[in-house]
Amino acid sequence: MSELSQLAQLINELKLAEVKSLASKMIEEGASAQDILVQCQEGMAEIGRRFDQGECFIPELVVAGKIMEAVMKDLEPLLKEAAATAEGSGAVVMGTVMNDVHDIGKDIVVMMLRGSGFRVIDLGVNVSPEKFVEAVKDNNPAVIGMSVLLTTCYQSISKTVEAIQQAGLRDHVSIMLGGAAATEILAQKTGCDFYGKTAMDAVVYASQRSKAA
Amino acid sequence: MSGDMEQIYNERLKRYVAAMRNEKPDRIPIRPLAAEFCAAYAGYTCQQVTHDLDYAFDAVLKCCADFDWDAAVSNMVFVWTGSVDAINLKYYTKPGIDTPADSCFQYLEPKDDDAHMKEDEYDALIEDPTGYLANVWMPRVSRDVQPIGEPSTYRNNLAWLKGGMSVLQYFQRLGEQGARMKNETGTVSAIAGCLKSPFDIIADKLRGYRGLCMDLFTQPEKVLKAVDALAPHMMFNALAGADPDKNVPITIWMHRGCVPFLSLEQFERFYWPSLKAIVEEIWSQGHQILFYAEGDWNENLKYFAELPEQSIIFHVDKSDLFKAHEILGEKFCLSGGIPNELIAMGTPEEVKDYCKKVIDAAAQDGGFIMDAAAIMQDDAKIENVKAMTEFTREYGVY
Ligand code: B12
Repeated sequence: MSELSQLAQLINELKLAEVKSLASKMIEEGASAQDILVQCQEGMAEIGRRFDQGECFIPELVVAGKIMEAVMKDLEPLLKEAAATAEGSGAVVMGTVMNDVHDIGKDIVVMMLRGSGFRVIDLGVNVSPEKFVEAVKDNNPAVIGMSVLLTTCYQSISKTVEAIQQAGLRDHVSIMLGGAAATEILAQKTGCDFYGKTAMDAVVYASQRSKAA
Repeated sequence: MSGDMEQIYNERLKRYVAAMRNEKPDRIPIRPLAAEFCAAYAGYTCQQVTHDLDYAFDAVLKCCADFDWDAAVSNMVFVWTGSVDAINLKYYTKPGIDTPADSCFQYLEPKDDDAHMKEDEYDALIEDPTGYLANVWMPRVSRDVQPIGEPSTYRNNLAWLKGGMSVLQYFQRLGEQGARMKNETGTVSAIAGCLKSPFDIIADKLRGYRGLCMDLFTQPEKVLKAVDALAPHMMFNALAGADPDKNVPITIWMHRGCVPFLSLEQFERFYWPSLKAIVEEIWSQGHQILFYAEGDWNENLKYFAELPEQSIIFHVDKSDLFKAHEILGEKFCLSGGIPNELIAMGTPEEVKDYCKKVIDAAAQDGGFIMDAAAIMQDDAKIENVKAMTEFTREYGVY
């Protein structure tokens, strides 16, 4: 990985106050919001990489997420809507399946996808099949990702896949599955295209599919 | 109680206790933590067993009678709507009302900025934990309890009254259920007394896990003080419900202390010292603790090995059972380890194969209790639970 910019490095070191003041200084000095966003994403991607390597843990990701939230508040008014879509890389729809409200893992996946430049439509938790379908219609993503933590929610996965099929969208979108209750076999049985054990797997798979699309 | 039943009960108790003390009983005891599974087996909905203790107890007794388990939890569907309604509690969903009748109750974690305890309230909590909980926390989690300073209402007064009564009633009924299990099916009531680590209670019920993660960076000293301030209360609570005969263990429901929820460094600083002291104190009073270690604790096992011999029973959820046996097996009994995915989706043959693997590797010298990895809900297949039970009863003879 090439050397991190100062801003990315500050994010990586979880320096909230410093990140905010450097970002506003950069804005004052005429840096584009898009540029700042990309640097922030670099920092987030680096934290994601460290998490994947077991060099840092969820508390660090949570803090990084809060920093990103704070910076985005300042940047959002400046970012034109279109610019929010980092160039080339597609959209990913993410959600925790119906009747399941665990979101810590899903949020990590969302964060790492965003860190890698994807436009992520985060549907939150307890997402019904219909909501997944709507989001696919509205955003035309290359990939949707479902997170499942409860074995009692296996049905929600197959129902979602069926709903996408019935809406005639199945050929347009790849479906990945993850979360503590997911397995390779479950992904196959429920008609998903891919099972990912870690958030990094989600990034790798989404990158492959968006290139293919 | 008939003489036969008494004999069966005594045999089972002896078997269960011997295994927990890491000794070798006549065979491996079977002690499933079966929750909504019991309802499904008895033909009740989750709604019925959550709302009405008669159904809940009946479902457990049916399972005890039919499966012949050595020990079982008197009611693993531990949320009773009666108590939730008594104070109009916000944080549990009720099956049949908030969610479908065939879904289990659920704990709702508030949004980050709506945590039950705010980031600037550590001093108040540290100074007087019970006062803080009664005066600040309760009005936030109950729709009826009024905050201090607001005019009291009829509902407020009744909430405190009914809340106290419902808890008394629940625990009295639990006692009766334990006696029924003993007398009617000869089954040991598996656990008594409930513990949480101070860190987990702050994460789960006060600051929220994410809020607490922020605090670890922004105000670590306060977190440490709060952990210490809560420790005696957690211990008191656990001992108050413990088995006076000191046979069955207090249970600690360990939630978010393992990697990756905390780094080992954070664990050493924030999670472990207070918990270790609590375990040592409880053990010095003669009670064992069932470590219900939710998730994967592989990285943290070495710390548990520091605890006094026999002081805990380590329950394996997603931890590596074979590694746990290697690191902890000399000192402690292990339980669990049969994956819930397998029990929900596999075949009886697959379940038996897995049980065999586990018994061969981790139960040869005693000190093992058969159980699923996690609490069994209504997705557990009856034939697979049967397979786990029957196979262990035959193959688990020493
Ligand atoms: C925290 C937690 C909760 C919190 C959730 C808070 C929140 N905001 O998320 C609360 C307290 C609310 C909760 C509630 C419940 N929980 Co819970 N919970 C857990 C716990 C301890 C941790 C889950 C977690 O966050 N893991 C950490 C993250 C980072 O891991 P992860 O989600 O697997 O994600 C990683 C990967 O899987 C991957 N990933 C995740 N999603 C995706 C998606 C894709 C596409 C890809 C590729 C990858 C990917 O990336 C992540 C990073 O690498 C687990 C036990 C455990 N340790 O796993 C139980 C657990 C999942 N819960 C369980 C239960 C039973 C419940 C309740 C029913 C309990 C109750 N009666 O109240 C309720 C159900 C609520 C509901 N309807 O969902 C059981 C499930 C058992 C089963 N049969 O399946 C578990 C396993 C505990 C147990 N051993 O009994 N829970």
